[in-house]
Amino acid sequence: MNDDLDRQNNNIIANWARKHSLWVLAYGTGCGAIEVPPTMTSRYDAERFGITGMATPRQADVLLITGYLAIKTLKRVIRTYEQMQAPKYVIGFGSCTINGGMYWDSYNTIKRLDDYIPVDIFINGCMPRPEGVIDGFIKLQERIARGQAKGWQHYQENLDWYRANQKKVIKNWTMPDYNW
Amino acid sequence: MDSKLIKEQEIKRNINNAFRSAEVTVVRRRRISVRFRAGILPAFISYLKEYMGFVHLVMISCVDWLEDNQFELVYHLWSYEEHIHAMIKIRLDRDNAQIKSLSSLWPHAETYEREIHEMFGVDFEGHPGLTDLILEDWSDLPPMRRDFDTRAFVAETFEWRKGREDAQDVRQTISARYGETIPEFKKDK
Amino acid sequence: MAALLTKEKETTLYLGPQHPGITGNMMVELKLTGDTIQRAKTHVGYLHRAFEKLMEERLWMQCFPIVCRICVPEPDPNEENLARAIEEIEGREVPERAQYIRVLMLELARITAYLMWMGGQSGSMGLYTMPQWSIGDRDYILDLFEELTGGRVYHMYIWAGGVRRDLPVGFKDRVRKVMDYIESRLVDYDRLLFENAIFLKRAQGIGIIDKEKALEWGVVGPPLRGCGIAHDVRKDEPYEVYDQLDFELITHEGNDVYSRAMVRRKEIEQSIHIIRQVLDKMPSGPIHNPGPNPLKWKVPAGDAYVRTESARGEFGYYVVSDGSLKPRRVHVRGPAYVHGIALLEHLLQGANVADVSFIMNSLGTCPPEIER
Repeated sequence: MNDDLDRQNNNIIANWARKHSLWVLAYGTGCGAIEVPPTMTSRYDAERFGITGMATPRQADVLLITGYLAIKTLKRVIRTYEQMQAPKYVIGFGSCTINGGMYWDSYNTIKRLDDYIPVDIFINGCMPRPEGVIDGFIKLQERIARGQAKGWQHYQENLDWYRANQKKVIKNWTMPDYNW
Repeated sequence: MDSKLIKEQEIKRNINNAFRSAEVTVVRRRRISVRFRAGILPAFISYLKEYMGFVHLVMISCVDWLEDNQFELVYHLWSYEEHIHAMIKIRLDRDNAQIKSLSSLWPHAETYEREIHEMFGVDFEGHPGLTDLILEDWSDLPPMRRDFDTRAFVAETFEWRKGREDAQDVRQTISARYGETIPEFKKDK
Repeated sequence: MAALLTKEKETTLYLGPQHPGITGNMMVELKLTGDTIQRAKTHVGYLHRAFEKLMEERLWMQCFPIVCRICVPEPDPNEENLARAIEEIEGREVPERAQYIRVLMLELARITAYLMWMGGQSGSMGLYTMPQWSIGDRDYILDLFEELTGGRVYHMYIWAGGVRRDLPVGFKDRVRKVMDYIESRLVDYDRLLFENAIFLKRAQGIGIIDKEKALEWGVVGPPLRGCGIAHDVRKDEPYEVYDQLDFELITHEGNDVYSRAMVRRKEIEQSIHIIRQVLDKMPSGPIHNPGPNPLKWKVPAGDAYVRTESARGEFGYYVVSDGSLKPRRVHVRGPAYVHGIALLEHLLQGANVADVSFIMNSLGTCPPEIER
């Protein structure tokens, strides 16, 4: 199975196509959602790079975690992430996804996003400017073209580790265990 | 100064005529503060609402006075006619915090009471549903209490990325990585 | 047919938190028969960061970067409120120039919030041109913010005793230029949205707030003025220099989504008018009345409630100090707390599923200030 995944990841033509149509799931998980509309609209116009919004997780390629995640949201984010079709990419947006940022001592926000879902690119800043966001997307595109954006594959291979981390903070695990 | 506070003094007199036990203080222009006892609070508040024109429930706050072993509930009311803000302060015993609900007077009082119940553990009698508002599956102490230590909880629940805990100078990392020298800044005296 | 409909089973629909029509990260649970909402329940808490707890752990000065994150589209009323509450407890005077600069910031922030709202409101009815225009234009104001404060979204500019920096050279002219531009764009906005036949058909008669009950329900801000009730914190309890400025209180009869939209639309003009007056009247002088060393800054014991008119209504802070280095309690009253839970649940009864996000946007529901 892993060979199969590797082959998918290293397919140059498919990667070239993926790179130029990144559909971002329109899920504003945190305050970073305020810089997404300027990025998408006329001034910064991220659609030049093939980046556009998508309403349903099934058709989206990129999950943009716009900032801190409360534990209650983390549960929904995991559910959303697992609904997305592979290949899928996660962008951690803002300092609070990296190490908790301003909310380092808050009891309700997670501190490291990559403990719970695999992150391909972090964009730092509180909050990142639209130029920074676009730059993050371009870096993601480069990684996709090189076949390095393998977070989704990493998630499949280390599901137990991720699940253990997730269950540590989500007390009442009512979701079905994911079936690959 | 006093001539400017005519409206406030009048409201103070009216309240004292109706409820002798209310301790009214005029804080400044447009602010009065009332200390009251918890027992007949709904009657007092509905008097303010129906007869004194305090129709707008701004919010209900709760302050935890851990040293006195008391919670202080503050009901903020605003009168659109007189443009006066009243803070009704009530002390509750911390171990047995219970008070009558105001959800029959204002529909949105219900939300505030739900939050205070969740965050402080104050019980509201006659509330239609004291379910969780903000938190989910919370089993610890109510988090806004002073004796809940958020830093200890975080240290226990989450793992920090390296470098966060010692809060070291970022410039050192950068200089180590790129071989640059750190510029000397003038020391503050 | 009618018999069929009455027999129809009640279904539950969860709208959000991952839904493009929801204003932010929250969920509405709808009980439906067919397309009609019988009951609605709001679920919040997805954005809870425990700000009020964090502020109890921070020095007074460290609270300023925290509070502006409470409301994302319009962070300045938060800083203004905290600063004014501390000044009231301490009895600290604010220089007049700083007061004018604060009003300038607050009104610029109001315009950005209204432009953002315009995008959301029209996006929720499928008019995607409007966000392209209004959010693009909003960026010109963000550029002004960036020049003045260093931050596009979060400014941390207003602090106790005044403001952090003086206006840069030529800043007033640039503000005037942007205001002229926004004013010229209003004609285009009218043509695209406010006089748009689809918007008129769609918005009139939807989301009606009972005028008699509006005050009791705790409705504030543009939704209240959209019921024809003239209340505004800037007039009721003037703060800073609003009592020296000339502006009109906008009201609109109709109680529906359309009247709320028109109130906001006309308030943009009033804000531009206020900003021009501020620029003309602004005196010279100091901009900050410094306090003690921030590391040893003890605010005397006491409490204060202050309120500011934000783009969504009355924004209030109740600050309690026990005389120590850290606040005892800071309680935030966001206007969306009332609009987004009790009022929204009430307005959604009997509405159509397609109108949910339309009504939510018209109330200006902003989840981060509900749960802080």
